Amino acid sequence: MKSIYLHQWQRFRRAPMLVVSFFLLTVVFVFTLAGFQSDDKFTVLAFVKEGSSDQAAEEWSDRLNESEGMFFDLREEEEVREMMRDGRTNFALAVGDSDYRMVVAAEDANLITVESYTAQVFREEFRLKQAEEAGGENIREDIQSSLEDPVLTVTTETIQGAEGTFVYDNQIQTLFGMTLFFSIYTMIFSLMNVTEEKRTGTWDRLIVSPLKKSQMYIGHFLYCFTVGYAQIVVIFLLFKYGLGFDLGGNFPAILIVVGCYAFAIVALGTLLMGLVKSSQQLQAVIPIVATAMAMLGGAFWPIEIVTNNIVLFLSQGMPILYALDALKSIAIYGRGLADLAQPLSILILFGVVCMGVGVNLMERRG
Amino acid sequence: MLETEELRKVYKGTAAVDSVNLFLEKGESVGLLGPNGAGKSTTISMIASLIAPSAGDVRLNGKSVLKHPNEIRKVLGIVPQEIALYPELTAFENLKFFGRIYGLKGEALSRRVQEVLKLLGLEDRQKDLVKTYSGGMKRRINIGAALLHQPEILIMDEPTVGIDPQSRSYILDTVRKLNEEKGMTVLYTSHYMEEVERLCDRVYIMDHGKVIASGTKDELKSILSGEEAILVEMDRDYPGLVKELEADEAILQTIEIDKGLKLIVPKGSRLLGKIFQAAERHGAQISNITVQVPTLEDVFLHLTGRKLRD
Ligand SMILES: Nc1ncnc2c1ncn2[C@@H]1O[C@H](COP(=O)(O)OP(=O)(O)O)[C@@H](O)[C@H]1O
Ligand SMILES: [Mg+2]
Repeated sequence: MKSIYLHQWQRFRRAPMLVVSFFLLTVVFVFTLAGFQSDDKFTVLAFVKEGSSDQAAEEWSDRLNESEGMFFDLREEEEVREMMRDGRTNFALAVGDSDYRMVVAAEDANLITVESYTAQVFREEFRLKQAEEAGGENIREDIQSSLEDPVLTVTTETIQGAEGTFVYDNQIQTLFGMTLFFSIYTMIFSLMNVTEEKRTGTWDRLIVSPLKKSQMYIGHFLYCFTVGYAQIVVIFLLFKYGLGFDLGGNFPAILIVVGCYAFAIVALGTLLMGLVKSSQQLQAVIPIVATAMAMLGGAFWPIEIVTNNIVLFLSQGMPILYALDALKSIAIYGRGLADLAQPLSILILFGVVCMGVGVNLMERRG
Repeated sequence: MLETEELRKVYKGTAAVDSVNLFLEKGESVGLLGPNGAGKSTTISMIASLIAPSAGDVRLNGKSVLKHPNEIRKVLGIVPQEIALYPELTAFENLKFFGRIYGLKGEALSRRVQEVLKLLGLEDRQKDLVKTYSGGMKRRINIGAALLHQPEILIMDEPTVGIDPQSRSYILDTVRKLNEEKGMTVLYTSHYMEEVERLCDRVYIMDHGKVIASGTKDELKSILSGEEAILVEMDRDYPGLVKELEADEAILQTIEIDKGLKLIVPKGSRLLGKIFQAAERHGAQISNITVQVPTLEDVFLHLTGRKLRD
């Protein structure tokens, strides 16, 4: 087993391009998608609607500015209209005493987001006012305090099935999603050493040697595991210490989650090898499986924003979902290993089943 | 020491190997001769416990290899038909790895690798990547990878396919040396009868999954003791002449070769005059005429009506 394992590293040294390129791809993707995220909010120009009071407008803009992602800049109407004419902004918000209007000069992708956010704030405010008028003395404080910070919260079904709030952290989502996604390629492509050995006949040489089949498989699996594990951990460390990404305070727990995930993916690769006939087929299948799994499992966008029931159902079968869930629990919510028993045991179970079935399929084919 | 008993392998209803009985005595060099698709590789794979037979058994010193595959794995070296090496590694690294999986380590392993490289004449090139090697050199390393653990039995599956004559000659000499000097038992598979004639004491001839003849070279050739071959070389092909000779009942077989003919005739039949006359009638220019003693190729031809390398 040790000789097989070390042998794979020797081969890796001679042909490191594949692994190195997936490593670099991950770094480049995470860096461009999340590395430069600044604290700048998206600025929305606003002005006081004709015939409305300045004070009311200011109260509204304060209320609107509780958002984490947008900044409402209240200015003179003349100034705003001029900026719109010059094309410096595509739309603006006219704030009245108890209503608002979007002034649109040109189509803008952000319009819908801003509009729906504004509508939400106004609606919420009216409801609070109604409740106050109906007699609740401290109702505003009560509700305010029960509203979690930040204000932009979406209530959604989490994996555990409990109602909870969801915090969207773009940096963490991108780092975890992309790293786990690309590591699938690294691991399964490395596992192709087995199919290659079978094709070239060196596998038969190993079989007729005194080595046991289990030693041969374990040697290969261990190698793929190590490569994938190392890739993920090195990238996490790079972004944690190099770019100051906040991965929470429990790095050992992250190491354990990554281990379970890497095991599940090596096992998935084994299953794929058992299902397809040749290296070429496997090469064609890997991107399909990796991409589908990443899309369904929430590596490209947070699963929390998905509402399609079919996708949500399918996502339950994706190991990447459980790994992302566990990693985010640690990094964003500060949970510990004790809370992760469920996703981790699902990953391990998934791995054991896939590996067992995969090896059996391969052996049956001979 | 090694024998097969009614060995049989069926693929999709057709028997690739059918009731094959072979035996190898210690120190022998035995040839397994047959055209492509005869079932040689399949037979070898079953002996090496790589594939399971559909029926029959393989015995090593009386013990079933099917039940105790590890017994044979320790003493067997097998040279596969395809080059089964790691092309991105050097010859040295390849050999070292194959030695290590047989449990060799450290100093003993390094010494053994150097011995094998020397035997193969590749000491100078050991640090080069195998993918930069010529076909003949790859073939040599392919053999070397089976020799590190000093096997008692060496099974070679067409080890000289597609290489230059010098490399082939070198390989044949090496195998001879291993057999004669180290007392290694050799089973040599080939579809080149010259190789088997040169290397082996005893020969099995296979066709369509069956052993159709076996024995020492002389025994096999005595099958043809009543016949001889006349080789007629001419300036070009003469189809009319072929037709005439084919019709002649005194000639057992007429085979067309490039610019000439091969005639199988009963031994001692005085046919040369007849051949010259026939050639004259068809205006054929005979450039050479030879009477040949039979080869294993002729034996195969006789048994199957086909040439080995069709
Ligand atoms: N895995 C296999 N599946 C189906 N048929 C096979 C397989 N291996 C060999 N055969 C068939 O068995 C016959 C013998 O093959 P083989 O042993 O390779 O012959 P040789 O080595 O003498 O050229 C051939 O007809 C070949 O097509
Ligand atoms: Mg063959």
